[in-house]
Amino acid sequence: MSPYFFYFFAVILILASAAVVWARNPLYNVLALVVAIFSLSCLFVLLEAFFVGMILLLVYAGAVLVFFLFVVMCLNLNTIALDQAQQTRFRLWGIAVGLMFVASFGLATKSFIKAQTMDPSSIRGTIETIGKILFTDYLLPFELTSLLLLIAIFGIVSLAQGALSTGKGAENP
Amino acid sequence: MITLGNYLALSGIIFSLGLVGVMTSRNVLKVLLSLELLLAASNLSFVAFSKFNGDYAGQLIVFFVILVAAAEVAIGLAIIVVMYRRLSTIQADELRTMKW
Amino acid sequence: MINPNLVWIAFFAPLVACVLITLLFLRNKTFSSLIAIAGILTSFICSCLVFTQIFQADPPAQLQQSLSWIAIDSLTINFGFLMNPLAIMMLLIVTGVGSAIFIYSRGYMDEDPSSPRFFAFLSLFAFSMIGIVLSNNFIQLFIFWELVGLSSYLLIGFWYAKPSAADAGVKAFMVNRLSDFGFLSGIILLWSISDIGNGRSFQFTDLVQVIPHLDPHMLTIVALLLFCGVMGKSAQVPLHVWLIDAMEGPTPVSALIHAATMVAAGIYLLARTFFIFEPSSTALTVIGYTGAITALMAAILAVAENDIKRILAYSTLSQLGLMVMALGLGGPMQGMYHLTTHAFFKALLFLGAGSVIYALHHEQNIWKMHGLLRKMPVTGVTFLIGTLALCGIFPLSGFWSKDTILALAYTHNIVLYLIAATASGLTAFYMGRLFFVVFWGNASEHEGGEHGPHESPLVMTIPLIFLAILSAIGGFIGIPHYLFPQEAPEELNMRVAVISSVIALLGLGFSYMIYGKRTATDPLATKLGSFYAVLQNKFYFDIVYGWYVDHIQQNVALFLSRFEREIIVRLCVGGLTNLARTGGKTFRYLQNGLVQFYALIFVLGAVFLFLVLIKTL
Repeated sequence: MSPYFFYFFAVILILASAAVVWARNPLYNVLALVVAIFSLSCLFVLLEAFFVGMILLLVYAGAVLVFFLFVVMCLNLNTIALDQAQQTRFRLWGIAVGLMFVASFGLATKSFIKAQTMDPSSIRGTIETIGKILFTDYLLPFELTSLLLLIAIFGIVSLAQGALSTGKGAENP
Repeated sequence: MITLGNYLALSGIIFSLGLVGVMTSRNVLKVLLSLELLLAASNLSFVAFSKFNGDYAGQLIVFFVILVAAAEVAIGLAIIVVMYRRLSTIQADELRTMKW
Repeated sequence: MINPNLVWIAFFAPLVACVLITLLFLRNKTFSSLIAIAGILTSFICSCLVFTQIFQADPPAQLQQSLSWIAIDSLTINFGFLMNPLAIMMLLIVTGVGSAIFIYSRGYMDEDPSSPRFFAFLSLFAFSMIGIVLSNNFIQLFIFWELVGLSSYLLIGFWYAKPSAADAGVKAFMVNRLSDFGFLSGIILLWSISDIGNGRSFQFTDLVQVIPHLDPHMLTIVALLLFCGVMGKSAQVPLHVWLIDAMEGPTPVSALIHAATMVAAGIYLLARTFFIFEPSSTALTVIGYTGAITALMAAILAVAENDIKRILAYSTLSQLGLMVMALGLGGPMQGMYHLTTHAFFKALLFLGAGSVIYALHHEQNIWKMHGLLRKMPVTGVTFLIGTLALCGIFPLSGFWSKDTILALAYTHNIVLYLIAATASGLTAFYMGRLFFVVFWGNASEHEGGEHGPHESPLVMTIPLIFLAILSAIGGFIGIPHYLFPQEAPEELNMRVAVISSVIALLGLGFSYMIYGKRTATDPLATKLGSFYAVLQNKFYFDIVYGWYVDHIQQNVALFLSRFEREIIVRLCVGGLTNLARTGGKTFRYLQNGLVQFYALIFVLGAVFLFLVLIKTL
């Protein structure tokens, strides 16, 4: 059973990622990424990492991508016609380098012989197990991330504030 | 049999797609989205390693990466908003003052 | 036993004086002269004490003390002194005659506003000369050799505002530099072949052991190269041209440096390191003939000279030639003996000339001076004693020393003897000319009666008297015995003595015939006609050298300058900078401002690194 689930979700993931890169409408890009995150989450569950799978859905798909949608809507990007003529000169180069990367990654994986024969271990990333470690061994990073989020909020507020007062959204003098 | 190699290969493909997106998108929003793809691919890789090695550290890293990615996306989007206000466009080519 | 501390004090006292004057007393004329005199007198007193210590022992004591200066692998250079009878005699001359001249300078330079600088330089010179005398190895000797050259340059060009003086200083330094090139080559060559199992050395005492083992041809080359240094410092032909122009310096300088001590340094070097020259008969022959030719040529040129100091300079050249010739004949004792007595009477003659110049307010042309014997008796009489000593009249010191040289020549090489005898005859002639023109006759018809010349102050006449006494009794105080105690005393060769006395008296007689009556100009000029012009141009040496410098040396220098400017600076240095600039101009287009371009490069680099990692893992 599991192999088919893996391939099913893997294909969906790949197609969705391709859509993120190559779809025309910005709205489709964002929605494709949501689909990709969903399938990624399923893959995590297949790997018995339930906690991170849920977190991925909640935080990523739930908060981050919704934020993306907000911005797309706010800037009316779905109606902006992107100028065909203004192409980045390095499109082809980009694709070539991407292919190079995939090839080298494949080489690396191939040479990692052990990866072909490893058995999965029996750990299960449930809330219980993860929580136990998170609050004992990894307490410091956990606390520090809250600080990080605070700083991010400062940054955003100061950036957006300026934009609001000088840009089109300014209403109060 | 699904082995670690499968997951790693998948991760590689997603990562490359993300790279292509970063390098070739005409639209900075799309660049940011591709960046998310990159991170997602790395997360997959970490969790796979965590499962196959029997160490929870991989999953915890993923936890923190998600958090940091959230903060980073927020700030990235704020920058995009500012850029839109300034240049009235979100084309990557328009950002070219950091040059000789 | 010799007390080494006395030697070190004698060595460094003048340097201390020089430093003190330079740092503290450059504005103060009285103190600077007193400090300088104190310095040289300290050296003199210490030298006297060491002298007694040396000769209290039998055989006479000898002492060498060195500090290791450079010791790297096979290169060892020390700094120290070698005190032996030869050194102490030379040291006594330098400090003794030096003291007299320092005291004399106090009077001579009192009108000059920059006399403190003079005394500082003079003390520096004293230090350097003592350094040459005491050095016990070639490198240290060379250092002090150059220092002496420097002091000479500084003192010749003391009145640097006068173009002829400045030029003369440069000329002296240049010619010396030329000779020092040969000198240094000789030193290094000798050092490089001086290894006989104990490593190479510059020390004289070590080289004495080495010399018997050397290949004769190499030894000759070394000897001739070392003689180059002597040729420059002691002004032998063809490097004699600087000594005449060196008379631009103040008279005490001419007395001390260019008569008594510095020019004698070459002779001293030959005597000190005679063991190098002795085995090589080729070198000795060259040295002998060079000395003789110098002696004769200088004597001929002196006859046509009209400046009192230049006449004396030519006579110095001539006597130096005689000393060098003596060494070439294998007689270091004879050469040093004559050096000692020459120091006495030549310094005396120069100081006397200085006295005359001072009294006549810096007039130096002998045809403007006459009958000074009446007006300046002390100067006149001492000058006479000096003249007679120089001519070699019995029983003054010059007679004894010159005679030993002539006897040596008579018994070894008759050609050299004839040249030397001719030179001596001419010496008597032109010295007589000098004396009769300047001092003889009536003084009544002198121009400018009220400001007429009078005798110089005591501070100048006392040294004159002191030196006159030494010139007179110098033959009787046993100088040769002190110089080379291990050699047997010389017997007087009666035949040579009589011949030379006769020649000298004939020379003096001729000069009285021509110059006894007072004339306005030189009667010899008309008699000799066109030959006189050749003499006036000093046998055209200066003209030839000048042509060479102007046409050949300048062009080589210009070529090198152009080469450096075009090829090295413009091509190499400029080329490199242009390369860097062009590279920069090309590569800056990598920064085109497009963020995704940067991302592309970034990923390319990452791929590359990735591949490298895969390969190595």
